Amino acid sequence: MYRFALAGNPNSGKTTLFNNLTGSTAHVGNWPGVTVDKKEGVYRKCPEPIAIVDLPGIYSLSPYTSEEVIARNYILDEKPDCVINIIDATNLERNLYLTTQIMEIDVPVILALNMMDAVEKRGDKIDANELEKRLGLPVVKISALKGAGLDKLMERAYETCKIKREGKTVIEDSALKHLIGDIRIALEGQGVLNPTFHAVKLAELDELEVIMHKDTVNMVEAFKRTHKDEIFGEDFEALIADARYKYITKYFSPTLRRKNKDKFIVTPSDKADKVLTHKIWGIPIFLLVLFAIFHLTFSENLFYLSAFLPADYVTLSGTAFEGVFGEGGINAPGVSLMNLMGVLTDTLSEIVAGWLASSPEWVSGLICDGVLGGIFAILGFLPQILLLFLFFSILEDSGYMARIAFILDRALRKFGLSGRAFLPMIMGFGCSVPAMINTRTLADEKEKLATIRVIPFFSCGAKLPILTAISGGIVAYFGVGNVDLITYGMYLIGVITALIAVILMRETTLKGDVPPFIMELPAYHAPQFKNLMMLLWDKAKHFIEKAFTIILASTIVIWAISHFSFSWQYLPDDKMQHSILAGVGQLIQPLFTPLGFGSQLQGFGWVFAVAAITGLIAKENVVSTLGTLASCIITGMIFDVELDGGLSAVTTMIENTNITLPALLAFIAFNMTTIPCFAAVAAARGEMPDKNKFKWTLVFWVITSYIVASGIYLIGSFWWTAFIYLGVAVAVIFGVRAYNKKRFAKDKK
Amino acid sequence: MTLIEVLVIVACVLIVFGVIIKSIIDKKKGKTSCGCDCSKCSGCSSCKVEPKKEDTNKL
Repeated sequence: MYRFALAGNPNSGKTTLFNNLTGSTAHVGNWPGVTVDKKEGVYRKCPEPIAIVDLPGIYSLSPYTSEEVIARNYILDEKPDCVINIIDATNLERNLYLTTQIMEIDVPVILALNMMDAVEKRGDKIDANELEKRLGLPVVKISALKGAGLDKLMERAYETCKIKREGKTVIEDSALKHLIGDIRIALEGQGVLNPTFHAVKLAELDELEVIMHKDTVNMVEAFKRTHKDEIFGEDFEALIADARYKYITKYFSPTLRRKNKDKFIVTPSDKADKVLTHKIWGIPIFLLVLFAIFHLTFSENLFYLSAFLPADYVTLSGTAFEGVFGEGGINAPGVSLMNLMGVLTDTLSEIVAGWLASSPEWVSGLICDGVLGGIFAILGFLPQILLLFLFFSILEDSGYMARIAFILDRALRKFGLSGRAFLPMIMGFGCSVPAMINTRTLADEKEKLATIRVIPFFSCGAKLPILTAISGGIVAYFGVGNVDLITYGMYLIGVITALIAVILMRETTLKGDVPPFIMELPAYHAPQFKNLMMLLWDKAKHFIEKAFTIILASTIVIWAISHFSFSWQYLPDDKMQHSILAGVGQLIQPLFTPLGFGSQLQGFGWVFAVAAITGLIAKENVVSTLGTLASCIITGMIFDVELDGGLSAVTTMIENTNITLPALLAFIAFNMTTIPCFAAVAAARGEMPDKNKFKWTLVFWVITSYIVASGIYLIGSFWWTAFIYLGVAVAVIFGVRAYNKKRFAKDKK
Repeated sequence: MTLIEVLVIVACVLIVFGVIIKSIIDKKKGKTSCGCDCSKCSGCSSCKVEPKKEDTNKL
């Protein structure tokens, strides 16, 4: 099967093109570094199927970042049958820089001028035929977003791949050209493949080339001794880069005819950025946007309209609209959808309970309390998870997320953090696994390690049921606060914990230079409805799949070990306190005493400890465990209470354990900051080859979760402990300063 | 033991061990352990527990 590689600058539309060609739904992010490794798919509309490989976005083939090395290695070593070089036609000159490098490789190349719709909207024109003539490479105009020109592109690529091509350089400077020619001949004599490419890279004194071709480096050194450029001196890399841009300006720029030649255009994106990336208002605006998202997802008093509702307004309870109007006001869309889901799961539970009415007690207990109690406890949160995910996807697709990194870079650079590190952290709001993998884009190892360690503090989608269930339980049982405010507050605590932790690490054990942060801000654009819906569908599918695999297996195991004693005797629900699970739970319960949900809890207090531990498999397990066990508790104690999903599971547990409000908040904080799920731990291990660093990372997570959770519990329960924590914080700051002073003096010696 | 009890026990054992075995098989195939469909995830296709440094200097 032929293999075509897609190469181009970040944000040039490679992944959009890849998705359109292969029918895939690969993630299209709106910042550099979204694709950190290659993806493969198949195009089936040519006479034979063609494998398409989407490479990470790169600005050049120099080995400065892992993406550049991955793309370069793929083209040179895997020898694709054709390279489709995607060009962002709205930035022709900059994108052609990479083209001049790809042209030096002995591989068939075709240019895809993407975003032609944006070019035409501006009123600009590109003469593709002229560009083709001057480049000596086929050029096809496309719009990957609208799916225009793709068939023609693939037809021409299919014809192009059959024609053998030799690399050629665009360097016109006679002295350099002569040097490159001599190196090329020497490399050809050594049997090196792609000699033109390697010759140019050697002339630049590319570090990888210097290692590989030690003998030939002498030619460059000798040339350097006799040739010194007036502007660039001995910096051959800059000299060659300048030669490339001169060539681009001279030969390719005339093919672009701009409508507004001389006027600097202020685009709508520029106008929006004046407000959204304002140096003072940028962060408050971001916090406001985030609050709005939480409000629309979790609020039970939408836009705080209850203040305007009469005291005796009709809540329409008992009708189909019951879920829309709550006691406090109008429910947010997320809450209404969650209530609707609750009606569905209740109905299903009743139907299944009816079927099993005449079956043995343990069978109906396992299926109704165990399996359905656990799974429905988390499925109820699916609408809110999807809604939150939708909002974050809109922020990302529109281009706003990329700006967050820019705003935070400016604010936190003085604390040793660069904006580049925030991109993986923000990804952690979705899932920690790809966020940790994305840290490969960070060149500085210390910055990378610090980032990996704090990513779990950015609550992922799996932790959402914990936040929502416990917050809802707090509001329902204690009658304080709002679900959206508590959830938002806990998210912020996670973010603040992450920032403090990173600052401390960067001031002490992981101290290092802050790397420069250069990022292209993509233009704002309306998110694509189709993309958003496909992403939502994938997210829903993945969540339901996880619920009926890992969560289902976990609930079966949890139910089983909570209904058997250590001597393998079956125990009914009211004897659960003598089970294996209760024994283990009561054993580990003291560990959580400083956090408020340990030995001080009465009755079934061990359930919280067990739930926290089961969260290590998958964070959704925390709520499903509470759901399973609460369901059994209700059945065993013959309460006249219907279990209504994760929310009532929490209120049941609050009632049975006398857990306090600060302890509940501490429970949330612990689950948010402790060791993440096994998958995230495996991802972190993969990015940390050093075993010692990995071990310390695990210790870091445990210690941080203890400090944060115990702080919330103790300060919430005994207000005067706030002064102790403040004193400790001041001592830490002075300690860090003293440590740095000592280190600075030692380095100076 | 009635038939329904036997069926439920067998189903539970199959589900639990099936999930565990599937996770192990997926891991050996190089698929991620988070359950994500890799093509939908920005970094999922490289979700392997292998040191990155082995890749970077290869030319």
